[in-house]
Amino acid sequence: MSSHGNTVDPKKTVLWDAEYHGHDVISTRSLGFFLYLLSDGMIFATLFAAYGVLSYSHNYFGGPTPSQFVHPWYTFTQTVSLFLSVLAYGMGMAAMKNRNRGGLISGLLGALVLGVVFLCLDVHDMTDLARQGITIATSGGTSAFIILTQVHAAHIFFGLIWILVMVAQVSSKGFTTDTVGRLLSLRMFWHLQAIIWVFVYVFVYLWGYIS
Amino acid sequence: MLVQLPGGWNPLLGRLALDQIPYDNPILAPLFVAVVIGTLVMLGLITYYRKWGYLWKEWLTTVDHKKLGVMYIIIGLVMLFRGFIDGLMIRTQQVWANGPHSSGVFGAVHGYLTPFHFGQVYSAHGLIMILLAATPLLVGFMNIIVPIQIGARDMAYPYLNALGLWITAAAAVLIMISLFVGDFAHNGWFGYAPIFELQYSPGVGVDYWIWTLQLTALGTTLGGINLLVTIIKMRAPGMTWFRLPIFVWTSLSANIIALTSFPALQVALGLVAADRYFGSHFFTAGFGGNLMLYTNLFWLWGHPEVYFVILPAFGMMSEIFPTFSEKPLFGYVTMVAASFAIAGVSWMVWLHHFFTMGAGPQVNSFFSVATMLVGIPTGVKVFNWAFTMYRGRITYSAAMLWAIGALFMLLVGGMTGMMLAVPAINYMVHNSVFVIAHFHSMLLVIVYAIFGSVIFWFPKVFGFRLDEHWAKVMFWLFTAGSMLVFVPMYMLGFMGMTRRLDYVFNPAWHPYLAVMEAGIAVYCLSVLSFVMLLYVSIRDRVKNRAEADAWGSSRSLEWLTHSPVPFYNFAVTPHVNARDEVAWRREHGLDGRQPDRYVDIHMPSNTGMALYIGALTFVLGFALTWRIWWLSLLALVAIILLMVIRSFRGDDGYTITGAELERMEKDALRNRTRADGKYVTDGLGQLAGAAMAYSRNSPPMGGNSSSGSQSGI
Amino acid sequence: MSSVRGYLSGFLISGLLMLAATYMAATHAFPPFGLLMVITVCAAIATIAQTYFLLHIDTAEHNIWNTVSLVLFIPLFVLTIGLTWWMFSQLYLHTMPAMAGMH
Repeated sequence: MSSHGNTVDPKKTVLWDAEYHGHDVISTRSLGFFLYLLSDGMIFATLFAAYGVLSYSHNYFGGPTPSQFVHPWYTFTQTVSLFLSVLAYGMGMAAMKNRNRGGLISGLLGALVLGVVFLCLDVHDMTDLARQGITIATSGGTSAFIILTQVHAAHIFFGLIWILVMVAQVSSKGFTTDTVGRLLSLRMFWHLQAIIWVFVYVFVYLWGYIS
Repeated sequence: MLVQLPGGWNPLLGRLALDQIPYDNPILAPLFVAVVIGTLVMLGLITYYRKWGYLWKEWLTTVDHKKLGVMYIIIGLVMLFRGFIDGLMIRTQQVWANGPHSSGVFGAVHGYLTPFHFGQVYSAHGLIMILLAATPLLVGFMNIIVPIQIGARDMAYPYLNALGLWITAAAAVLIMISLFVGDFAHNGWFGYAPIFELQYSPGVGVDYWIWTLQLTALGTTLGGINLLVTIIKMRAPGMTWFRLPIFVWTSLSANIIALTSFPALQVALGLVAADRYFGSHFFTAGFGGNLMLYTNLFWLWGHPEVYFVILPAFGMMSEIFPTFSEKPLFGYVTMVAASFAIAGVSWMVWLHHFFTMGAGPQVNSFFSVATMLVGIPTGVKVFNWAFTMYRGRITYSAAMLWAIGALFMLLVGGMTGMMLAVPAINYMVHNSVFVIAHFHSMLLVIVYAIFGSVIFWFPKVFGFRLDEHWAKVMFWLFTAGSMLVFVPMYMLGFMGMTRRLDYVFNPAWHPYLAVMEAGIAVYCLSVLSFVMLLYVSIRDRVKNRAEADAWGSSRSLEWLTHSPVPFYNFAVTPHVNARDEVAWRREHGLDGRQPDRYVDIHMPSNTGMALYIGALTFVLGFALTWRIWWLSLLALVAIILLMVIRSFRGDDGYTITGAELERMEKDALRNRTRADGKYVTDGLGQLAGAAMAYSRNSPPMGGNSSSGSQSGI
Repeated sequence: MSSVRGYLSGFLISGLLMLAATYMAATHAFPPFGLLMVITVCAAIATIAQTYFLLHIDTAEHNIWNTVSLVLFIPLFVLTIGLTWWMFSQLYLHTMPAMAGMH
């Protein structure tokens, strides 16, 4: 490094940068939240790995298997409600782009209602299974099935709380750096749940039904 | 839904009952009394010296990455001591309970610990050393050093940083509480299926273990996200990727590992919790569970975690060697590539922890070869450090000695690691103390690097150097202790001694065990010399005052700003012109140049929120351990509520005007040249105040801040 | 990007693919292995469509780091699931020959 040392002119060298104002708050925030989401994705990947190991026929211990208790069309209604919820959220975000607060709030409320529908369908499904004696304690296979699907449902539950908080914040504060940043983070969270649902739906419900 | 419990349970207190306090235990009861007295004395002293306000404003509510880092390191050192005491107890039990004629006291047939108590001691030793000593120490250093090295004012998310610290602290408190309320897990630090299932371990020990690990996992994940975003987004102008100090690179790769691997731990333990709380059958021996699945999921995290702790240690060594060799680091680019190669390969080796599972030759070969591949980038690093020293102007300062010690330990640990990577050898020594000696050699790399860094970066944080003489005494005592403990351990491993023996049946091993016990005694001396080191250094702090560039041959950006570092790190963001910017400025006669104009800067406000949430995570962990459902729910709801409240309040931070900055900078420079050091002579209580010499008297609190509260210093 | 059209396309593509997958699974349109392949392809396309249209993962400059981190993570997801599946299928093959094979 000292080889080109003589060419440095102390008067011309820039040593300080007073005008540097650092990073863009929203993109920094969204990167951090995206990293969190990826680690959340890793939680699902690990759960899928556990499910893969525990979905051999001997893991059901002679008890019921998903091919007996999964109803593809019932779960398809869950898929549709979640996808519609995500669509509603997207519409809200499009409204935000036009600084349309009413449009944003109706989009959020739509996403909220459809998310509640998804959760109700899920809870109904689980209580139905429990009535048939299929619970988390039935066998290793059903433990894996129920934990994987219910961890996803828990994400939806906390997402719904967050949507409620954001409805309140947008109504009271309008579009600030904070609220817009959070809405963008929530968008990623909500849409990632849809992506993970694709895997849960196809590889747990449908594949379980097929085999 | 919830499982039926053996033993008592009531809705109000869960499983908590008076008989869970081990007041009749001859070891724990006196310890408990001592802890209570010690706590009371400390609280009394704080009250007597009226330090509550100071503690609250400067430490408990701080979001300053340096203070948070210092607190991480304090937690790490305290837990390192606790873990050391556990190690001492293990060694003493084994040398005592050796052979059929050995005596027994305190209810033990041999030695002084019953098998159940011994099981708790080695489980706590492992868990504490890895997750509550090594991890907080390294995270602490990353916290303090990384933002300064990249020329940032703070981390990307200062509040999240505080949250990570307090959650880690909650985990430390939880495991300490398990000493006096209930008991701890006896299944080893990584747990075995199905022994941790409720029917075999009906006590609360396993639950303590689950929630302590979960809290550390959560804290480390939050810290990891923070560091990654900080490194990606907050670099000063001119700080291009290939000008980053190696410590930043290794922190980056380490935190990528943390972020990607800790979820696997959370899942593994979550599923154990599901088994114990809901009666599911993930890891049960019957009902279609698979007990090896637990081992798989745990090491899926566990192996990357090993590299998560070793990589920052490599980074520390990469900072110390060039400084005390007065040469740039040899092979910078290969060092970066090696760090990422290690991080990448770390994801393909985890089966080597359970070669003996019997997955067959193909699987074992794949993981064996992948494990050996780690040797290549690690070898690159070793040669780079050696070539850095080659023909350098080496100063054998204390920090350099520790770094060289780390290098030596790395050679020993690395070579034995290569042996263990061969499945055929692994089958022979699996679960023997040879494995224990191997990974202790590796973890000693970290300990050596950390003590080297404590000495190396101490003046940057506190403004004065540690005493060289005592640092060297400590180094030699520690090294002697390490040799005495671990060389016999390798030998015993070859002789077939298995790990975790509460009773060592073979009297022929007694000489080795006795040498190891002697090593522990030497370790005790090194602990005393560390205390002495701190005492002498604080006594002589005026004499040992450090300049911005404390070693005179420092290279990276953290040495550009004052020692101790002001709370805003850099009054004006530096413009980076070269790799090793400080060395570059020195070589071109530009060192000591100050900015010619100051502009307003923006800083985050203090907040107590992180402390509250951290405390609540402790309550949550404690309530879940004891199955106090109402309290668990209450804590969870309170945590969510506090997060919502915080999000409504937001943090506008506060502004320091350019004029104010200029005044503080002038003060700092004047203090630097003032030899009498008057402002650090007010006794111990002021030490930390002096450490952050340029703190404001009353940092504004989040939420209730008004612009009027900004008084100068 | 975050236009109404983008969200609608994401919804329609993934919705229709899931509809097709559900229909084929419910009617057992193919033998199990073929069916698995077909629904896997459906899931893959749906995921890519959602990642692009909903998560806005692309190479635009403002969120390049999101894309980079996703690309770095995906191999780890594959390794986690793939290596786990591989080692346990081999384990079952060697320890429980009668039970080898998925389901």
